[in-house]
Amino acid sequence: MERSFLRRLSVVVALTAAVAAWSAAPSGAQSTVPYHSFDKSESAAQTWSHGQASRPVQPVSAHAVPNTSPLTGIRILPSSVSLAIPLMNQRIVVEGTYADGHVADLTAQASIRCANSGIAKLDHEDFVHPEGNGHTLLTASFKGHSVSAAVEVTNFSAPFVWSFRNQVLPVMTKMGCNSGPCHGAAAGKNGFKLTLRGFDPLTDYYTLTHQAIGRRTNRIEPAKSLILLKPTLTIAHGGGQRFPVGSPEYQVISGWIAAGMPPPKPSDPRIVDLEVYPHQASLVPGAEQQLVVMAKFSDGHYEDVTRWAKYDSGDEGVATVDPSGHVTMHGYGEAPVTVWYLSHVTFARMRIPYPYQLDEAVYQRAARQNYIDDYVLAHLQQLHIPPSPQATDAEFLRRAYLDAAGILPSPQETAAFLKDKSPDKRNRLIDALMKRPEFVDYWAYQWSDLLLVTSNQLSYPEMWSYYDWIRSSVSQDKPWNQFVRELVTASGNTLENGAANYWVIHRNPIEISENMTEAFLGINITCAHCHNHPLAKWTQKDYYGMADLFARVRLKMGQPAGARPGIGPIFRDVTVYSGTSGQYTDDRFSDPLPPKPLGAKALPLDTTVNLRAYFANWLTSPQNPYFARAVVNRVWKNFMGEGLVEPVDDMRATNPPTNEALLAAMVKDFVAHHMDVDYLIRTIMQSATYQTSSRPTEQNIVDQKYYSHYLVRRLPAEVLLDAISSVTQEPERFDSYPLGTRALQLPDTAVQSYFLTAFGRPIREQTQESERSSVPTITQALHIINGDTLNNKLRAQGNVLDKLIKAGDSDSQIVTYLYLAAFGRYPTDRELIALTGHLRTAEGVKVKGAMNPRRAALSDLAWAILTSQPFMFDH
Amino acid sequence: MFRLDADKKVHFCDGVTRRDFLHAGALALLGLTLPQFMDLKAMGAVNPNKDINCIQLMLVGGPSQLDTWDMKPDAPASIRGPYKPIPTNVSGIQISEIFPRMAKHADKFALLRSVYHTAAAVHDTGCQMMQTGRLFRGGLESPNYGSVLSKEKGPKGAIPANVLLPYPIGQLGGNLPHGDTAGFLGKKYDPFVLNADPSDPNFHVPDMLPPDYIAALRVDRRRDWRNMIDQSVSYFESSQDAKLMDSTFNEAYTLMTSSKARAAFDLSQEPEEVRKKYGMNRFGQGCLLSRRLIENGVRFVTVNMFETVFNEITWDIHGSAPFSPISCMGNLVGPMFDNGFTSLIEDLDQRGLLENTLVVATGEFGRTPRINPAGGRDHWPQCWTIVLAGGGIKGGQVVGSSDSIAAAPRDRPVQPSHVAATVYHALGIPIDVILATPEGRQVRLVDHGFEPVVELFS
Repeated sequence: MERSFLRRLSVVVALTAAVAAWSAAPSGAQSTVPYHSFDKSESAAQTWSHGQASRPVQPVSAHAVPNTSPLTGIRILPSSVSLAIPLMNQRIVVEGTYADGHVADLTAQASIRCANSGIAKLDHEDFVHPEGNGHTLLTASFKGHSVSAAVEVTNFSAPFVWSFRNQVLPVMTKMGCNSGPCHGAAAGKNGFKLTLRGFDPLTDYYTLTHQAIGRRTNRIEPAKSLILLKPTLTIAHGGGQRFPVGSPEYQVISGWIAAGMPPPKPSDPRIVDLEVYPHQASLVPGAEQQLVVMAKFSDGHYEDVTRWAKYDSGDEGVATVDPSGHVTMHGYGEAPVTVWYLSHVTFARMRIPYPYQLDEAVYQRAARQNYIDDYVLAHLQQLHIPPSPQATDAEFLRRAYLDAAGILPSPQETAAFLKDKSPDKRNRLIDALMKRPEFVDYWAYQWSDLLLVTSNQLSYPEMWSYYDWIRSSVSQDKPWNQFVRELVTASGNTLENGAANYWVIHRNPIEISENMTEAFLGINITCAHCHNHPLAKWTQKDYYGMADLFARVRLKMGQPAGARPGIGPIFRDVTVYSGTSGQYTDDRFSDPLPPKPLGAKALPLDTTVNLRAYFANWLTSPQNPYFARAVVNRVWKNFMGEGLVEPVDDMRATNPPTNEALLAAMVKDFVAHHMDVDYLIRTIMQSATYQTSSRPTEQNIVDQKYYSHYLVRRLPAEVLLDAISSVTQEPERFDSYPLGTRALQLPDTAVQSYFLTAFGRPIREQTQESERSSVPTITQALHIINGDTLNNKLRAQGNVLDKLIKAGDSDSQIVTYLYLAAFGRYPTDRELIALTGHLRTAEGVKVKGAMNPRRAALSDLAWAILTSQPFMFDH
Repeated sequence: MFRLDADKKVHFCDGVTRRDFLHAGALALLGLTLPQFMDLKAMGAVNPNKDINCIQLMLVGGPSQLDTWDMKPDAPASIRGPYKPIPTNVSGIQISEIFPRMAKHADKFALLRSVYHTAAAVHDTGCQMMQTGRLFRGGLESPNYGSVLSKEKGPKGAIPANVLLPYPIGQLGGNLPHGDTAGFLGKKYDPFVLNADPSDPNFHVPDMLPPDYIAALRVDRRRDWRNMIDQSVSYFESSQDAKLMDSTFNEAYTLMTSSKARAAFDLSQEPEEVRKKYGMNRFGQGCLLSRRLIENGVRFVTVNMFETVFNEITWDIHGSAPFSPISCMGNLVGPMFDNGFTSLIEDLDQRGLLENTLVVATGEFGRTPRINPAGGRDHWPQCWTIVLAGGGIKGGQVVGSSDSIAAAPRDRPVQPSHVAATVYHALGIPIDVILATPEGRQVRLVDHGFEPVVELFS
């Protein structure tokens, strides 16, 4: 490298107060330096970026096509440059836009000039450096296109000192010093402990400047500070070399030491926003794109923090990103690249549209029923994915019954719906379905999963009381905020107020606050139990402050009602009430933390406010950015098979939705309709997106998350069992429940059922989506083939087959009936001929066993239908 | 017992005759209880040159290195703990007194005393890394060793190549995957999960045979008709779950029709004294079952010693509820391991299977050198010991060492990726094999820069 910055820096090593300009620090200077020799598993992702021209384009997917679309223009990112801090530079990117909508990073190929080099200069690494106060123009040109950006330099000769809070700590964070495996560990490392990711600047300041008899920082000879000697491997360091002597990292830290180590002050500007350029981009396979990240501070100034931000790709099959914010595109699709700096997170959507030339008309002609379709189609258009056509009436009917109410339409209902010619029959069907008791059963079951209704933790009467409260809330269509508020503030006898049982299941303030956030905000804060959350902004103070909200809940136990293994004794007749005082204390903090909902205002420790009511206000408020989002995403997943955020209980800024605009619009609509869950369900079901066929087209077959076609999925355990029972007309027997109780009507998942367990029923131990599984296994197949659930129903006397035979139905009528009952459609002529033919042959074959040959053959046909994929899947 | 209607000549779709079904009741005659080395060789279970199998014993909870295989008798009491070292049949190697049987076989196993990892000190990360060699990031879930072996070599006959006993690991507190699936290779290579307790007196693989009242002919035509009906939704192919359902049905049929496969799971064919020798508990019988499975053609068996660390006595000796006290190592967990592991090694050795069966026993991390105020030890991923035997491992040696209090590796530090490289090396799978994710991303089997711990094999 020509601009040997190491050579220049050898002079600077001895530097004291005079801090060499950071302008000497090209971002690629570390090409020979192992960034991260400590944990080699990360090494693949740690290649430093250089000028793009010298970087070989990686071979990507074999079906990559050369893009020949003409260049329509270029732009400079960011569109203007303001350099207000003498030692800081601005990275720029020249972005080309093409006729087909894709963009390309042309920084390496474009010619870029600064009009007045006395004001600003551009180096070979595409950084603009301040040279003197004033205004000038930066002009980029490429293939006949040209564009300019205004450059403003201020404060050029003003004295400047690096800020501990805003620059020194982020550098240490980026270098990994305060990460979990290193000095950020709860116990520190080798006697040196920093707060995880620098969440507590004041503590870190004292650790660095006062602890270890002040050896860590030497203000007389900064270069002799341990925090420079160790990470540069000038002396031995267990963590290996983190940055070389003279690197920009080195300069920030040494500059700060040399300036007398000013401490973090309450008056320090704070980060208020993080912006990334380009915010979203369509690129071609193999393309590379440098990101530029700007932090905005409370005093209005911006800093280019591209180098110090942390990056992560949400889908490494689509895009990977290196530590300098250099993105490489691999496969088709879209990946959010999250960017993290100080406490702020943002992301850039990087995508490679699928290689299809699609006419605008594909999207214009596509079915649209409501705003959901507009957002989905707009997104599909960006990705060059065509939507599938709308589902047939039969497909829609079966799907609607299963997704909204967990049941199959009866043969009569199917026949009537198929015959109906009115144009609004689908909407009428949706309305009718939502009035059915099975709809209430289904949603009561969903929320019982969420709220962990189980006799493993409650006495039977209490479990029923809890369940009945949920069920009656669903049947009243109680607004979601009211439902949750009733639960959060529930007091009184648990037999009278079912919602109060939540407080019997969750008794420890820590566990309560974890469960509340998981269930109602879709946020997992468990990490903050031991340390600040590594992927979200929650700190331990947030965590324990929130727990303090629940420290005054009291239980008065009634009579013992037995014990549950692993849980302990359970009680009947419990009374839940709120005490007027009490604090949650944890050894980690010398004083109790004031009660405080996540990211909200804290109450004074001695407050007499009803803490649960205070929490409920915050939790269910329309202003709470997480509350409505979490439930909208859960309900959406129920119908679409894939949440906009996955997993649904891991919503955080670093895990953005696949279609933010759609989720935001649905949340707004839901809040505007008073958090009416039925309204939300209706809106989703009425959309053309929900009513898209499950048959993929050749061009959208690869799509599993942008909703171009309905995603087929195995029926949930309970729905499958109920469907088998309903088609065979042989109800399942559940211990101590009246015959005819459907699996979806069980209030309890502790009810014994091999079938339900094998097919992935959740145990309701933890509020987690992943408790439920729909993965097919050999165990399930063996049970379906040999087990007694299905086989017993097929041979039971008086089941559907016996009834049909008794009624004198022909084979052809029976096949038709079974198709209607199981698949919600008529058999085709071909199917009918083939199956009746097989039946006729089989009925002539004697088989050992009790049944007559026809009955045996019909049982076998019913078996084949009830184990086939069109039956076991929702489609 | 399964009976057949003998009046019809029946073939199953895959060409297996009903004689296989017919023999189902007479399996005890096949008795695989004594060494049948030649037979096993003929069946392909024993092939010293190539086919190496593996049994991974997951010591869920994380055994304390200081109370098991890396004792520090000279350290202060607050560090060395309550147990004493005992000599083994290899001079110079000492292990804890809680493993008296194991101590008689030190010539057959090697101890790797310098394993560490740098991820978060929660159970889940360690399980993930010790079963895949990698921490999951960027949405990329790496495959379990057994799944890779299954993909690279396929099943031997009717029995699945990769089996997990007895249940998958459940909640360990971190809510992260445990690395016991095929990850990005696809669910097709997920292990066959037993989901039954082999120490249960009525233990059997659920639903392995059709009920009496369904004749083989009917099993067959049901299958045919089902396939026919499925053709109407051939477009389901694009769904991974639909494809997987197809293959699970096929595997189920294969399993049903193979008497050998069924016999492999039949612990009642083992004499009572053999069963007792392994210990009449879940882990002991799991070890015994793993041996039977290897004898019958399974390539990779995972035995999870525990499924959770909550409210159960495990290696997770924090000393306070809901976890375990340190004393359980001496009176419960230690003996359980000693009997299961030692019997397994003895049997494999006696049958000549040890040379082509790698046995790896590992926890997800070690424990704090200093005893905590509750009298237990907390999580310590900075240093622990794993035990390896068979499959080319040279027994009677210790590789790597820790510092004076077993707090950090002193020499030959080894990370989970090195362990993965070692396992694959033993299994004969090159560590630079490139695997493809469903999106077409190429991933090296073991990350660049991590080589097998070759000293273990010399």
